[in-house]
Amino acid sequence: MEQDNKLKFSLNIALVSGIFCITVALLLLLNFMQMAKNKPLESKALTSLVKRLSQEPNSDELKVEIRNFDLLARKAYFNSQWQVKTGGYLLLFGAIVFALSLRVFIGLKAKIGEPDVKDENDLTGRIMTQRWVMITGSVLIVLGLGASFASVDHLQKYDVNESLAEAKPADDQDKVEVIKVGENPQIVQPATTDSTKNGIPANATKTDTSKVAPVTAVKITIPGINAIKANVPGFRGPFGNGVYFQKNTPVEWDAVSGKNVIWKTPVPKKGYNSPVIWGNKVFLSGADNQSREVYCFDRSSGKILWKQLVDKIQGSPATPPKVTEDTGFAAPSLTTDGNRVYAMFADGDIICFDMDGNRVWARNLGLPDNHYGHASSLIMWKDKVFIQYDTNKSRKLMALNATTGETTWETVRKGKISWASPILADINGKYQVVLSTDPMVAGYDPETGKELWSVDCMSGEVGPSPASSGGMVFAVNEYAKLVGIDPSKNAKVWESDEFLAEVASPVAANGFLFVATSYGVLACYDAKSGEKYWSKEEGPGYYSSPVIADNKVYTFDTSGKMRVFDLGKEAKIIGEGNAGEKVTTTPAFVDNRMYLRTPKFLYCIGKK
Amino acid sequence: MKKWIKVSLIFAFLLFSLAGMAQQQRFPKPEFGTGYSQPTPITPEPRALALEYTDVVILLIVLSMASYFAIRKRSRKGLLWLSVFTLLYFGFYRDGCICSIGSIQNVALTLFDPGYAISITTLLFFLIPLVFTLYFGRTFCAGACPLGAMQDLLIVKPISLPEWLRKTLGIIPYLYLSLAVLFAATGTDFIICRYDPFVGIFRMDAEFHMVVLGIAFILMGMFVARPYCRFLCPYGVLLNWMSRFSKWHLTITPAACIQCKLCSDSCPFDAIDYPTDEKQSKNRTWGVNRFLVYALLIPLWIFIGGFAGSKAHTWISKANPTVYLAELLITKPDVRNDLKNLDVQAYLSSGKSMETLVKEATVIRRKFYTGGWIAGGFMGLVIGMTILRQVVYRKRTDYQPHKGNCYSCGRCMGYCPVKK
Repeated sequence: MEQDNKLKFSLNIALVSGIFCITVALLLLLNFMQMAKNKPLESKALTSLVKRLSQEPNSDELKVEIRNFDLLARKAYFNSQWQVKTGGYLLLFGAIVFALSLRVFIGLKAKIGEPDVKDENDLTGRIMTQRWVMITGSVLIVLGLGASFASVDHLQKYDVNESLAEAKPADDQDKVEVIKVGENPQIVQPATTDSTKNGIPANATKTDTSKVAPVTAVKITIPGINAIKANVPGFRGPFGNGVYFQKNTPVEWDAVSGKNVIWKTPVPKKGYNSPVIWGNKVFLSGADNQSREVYCFDRSSGKILWKQLVDKIQGSPATPPKVTEDTGFAAPSLTTDGNRVYAMFADGDIICFDMDGNRVWARNLGLPDNHYGHASSLIMWKDKVFIQYDTNKSRKLMALNATTGETTWETVRKGKISWASPILADINGKYQVVLSTDPMVAGYDPETGKELWSVDCMSGEVGPSPASSGGMVFAVNEYAKLVGIDPSKNAKVWESDEFLAEVASPVAANGFLFVATSYGVLACYDAKSGEKYWSKEEGPGYYSSPVIADNKVYTFDTSGKMRVFDLGKEAKIIGEGNAGEKVTTTPAFVDNRMYLRTPKFLYCIGKK
Repeated sequence: MKKWIKVSLIFAFLLFSLAGMAQQQRFPKPEFGTGYSQPTPITPEPRALALEYTDVVILLIVLSMASYFAIRKRSRKGLLWLSVFTLLYFGFYRDGCICSIGSIQNVALTLFDPGYAISITTLLFFLIPLVFTLYFGRTFCAGACPLGAMQDLLIVKPISLPEWLRKTLGIIPYLYLSLAVLFAATGTDFIICRYDPFVGIFRMDAEFHMVVLGIAFILMGMFVARPYCRFLCPYGVLLNWMSRFSKWHLTITPAACIQCKLCSDSCPFDAIDYPTDEKQSKNRTWGVNRFLVYALLIPLWIFIGGFAGSKAHTWISKANPTVYLAELLITKPDVRNDLKNLDVQAYLSSGKSMETLVKEATVIRRKFYTGGWIAGGFMGLVIGMTILRQVVYRKRTDYQPHKGNCYSCGRCMGYCPVKK
């Protein structure tokens, strides 16, 4: 090809590819603007159709129309994306052709001309360079200094309390988080009389629920032993031992026929926590992946006295953690001291309400890394709330100041994650917090968190909580052992592996120890020696922990059947009941009545 | 013998087949028949270690060939085709990553963060070009850098820039280097990668503003040759330093320069030094006096630069996500209720307390303060040295490539009429 033809050819290619590039670029720009403007799921037409559907929820025609429109919008969106991608490649190809053809054209046209007479050492050029570099340097310095004046160091001015006080909730919420707490809570102790006989304690704090109301100088009565025994302060009753100090507890009832059902009230949200009772109030919590709630029921009528949403907690995860169906978001039972009630959830949120439902404090302990979901219940002793905060990452026992929610102490423990709950065991006249986990059962000083004793005897994923009676501690787990421990000797006294519980906790009283297995066997042992008295297989299995009240052993199997056994050396059923639905929670007893949570209802059972 | 060869080949075939089978998933993925394929969240996708080492070997081969073409073979054509290969392999095939330019940040982070361990591949990508440059000049820029290759191939009609403009714009890479190291060392961001104007083209996927930036660089590069390499590339700063001490460097003429001046306009990057004018360099008194003054001013430049850098630390540190989040939550506490703010929601779900967050942010800001002093001082030194160099005269009798600025592209060699 001749030089002229080459020139013409390259120029024409450059022109054609240039026009092609401009066209594609403009189309791409147009497409981009269209994509930015019309987002498929924010379409006005779609929104109005969805709005119409809320007014006509049964219109199948409308549903089909929405589906078709949604599909169309999505198709259009992905089509645009495809166009952008393809257009990008076309533009790149065009640009390469354009640049190369232009380069060939200019290369062919170029001639080696007369060399320029340049002088590198041109003084004027050097002075110009110095000047401009100095100007640039000065501009950079001025910018640096200017930036210091233009910016404020908010970190230095940060004040924790001020910041928390400023964190006001959205206007549409009528309940508020109160994290700022009183500086001088007055603690009256010890009160050995039952301060709750007349229902609501006289010293319960009442606050205006519509305002941010820091709780100041709250008078708190630490309940005495009698008050604790008269109520149900937490999971498995007083001290978490499953032993109730009540008389004339009911032995027969039927949810289907309504026999001995004083009242039953639907529980708004699901939860595996058991009833906690103080005075005339029964507390439960419920949660799903949308929200968490705490409920207070009137013990006499079953009426919901208050229901509080658990939200706006600093550090609370925006999305709920993954939990298994049989653990749920509200497995831990609440705890109360008659002044306030404390609830914990699977996302690590812990919250405190006063007895009238006013929020006192709330905090998040960090999202528990727990493959089933956090299940360990809370327990109280004096002015502290104890949490067995086991996760896959760390195991610890925490004590929170009941007044402020602040951590009083925490003890990092060895071992693996456990789903058991802490109990209070009377060891040589002093109460200890006792925990069961793989590999050990251990006792801790409630005041300091110091480990007092520890016996390695457990293994696997420990679900059942320990039990205590007569100065001994008992622990069990499936595929591990049933053990009797003497904490004062820091030693295992006896062990057995015949009947092992998977979920239900053991219970001990009057020298007897009971273990309920998940395959339906209730076994009775001599608590001191571990000698087996009897075993009885009934029903599909036990998840609900057996409890003792009025010298009777109460059991609920997973089908909802209640069997009441005599507290003795022989297996003797002295009463039966039927919840008519699955039961996995543990009943509570107060004033001749039994309170039971089923998946749907809270029952009050007793003689009408 | 032939039998043995056959047996060996069959054995090798079986071995490869078994290896392939072993890599197949035990259970095939379910096929739902929608035709949808899950997009990968990482670009480029992680590679097997063997393939990463292959990249290192390819870099070594490309650098060796570039050095051979530039110094021994003196072949511009060879360098051109090598850069085409680099563009296709390291650019489009490897999606512009791994890249020696970005590796600066990995090195900086590994030096300052004991919790971060740099991969051996990244370290080699950082070191190998520097070592080659120390021996052969910037042959990396000539044939082994995909960013350089893209710009080099698209030079259409380069214009010569006046010296004052080149030198002034030449400060930017130092500033960019300082900031990149500061940001990487504080764990803030890898800004070289984030603001790489060409990576979006390599991947055919980028945010709109980065597409605009990439196109702007390409269009500018048609007339101002290699704008990114000359006025932005932070790795170029290190290569420039190394190249000044290079043992062998590309030369315009293979023998003695005959002063024909034909090469004077050949370099699109203005990287050819001309012979010095004896008349002007004779005016020594002016030069000596100024040299002394500028040399004495260098510590002052360093101090003022460091002071300004330290003063800017509050503002610069706002780029750090932890600092930004902490300040956002302090200044706008209501943002906690904004469910659409994913950063805030992620923080809230982490369970970290505000006090801890503020403490972490304060530690980072303190690092920025120290880093601000160092980066500012370094910039002061660069400015002071650039000014000082303007009064230094070096005697040159021939036309020769500037050892620091020359990219060893070999264009000038074709202009020289002298043959061996």
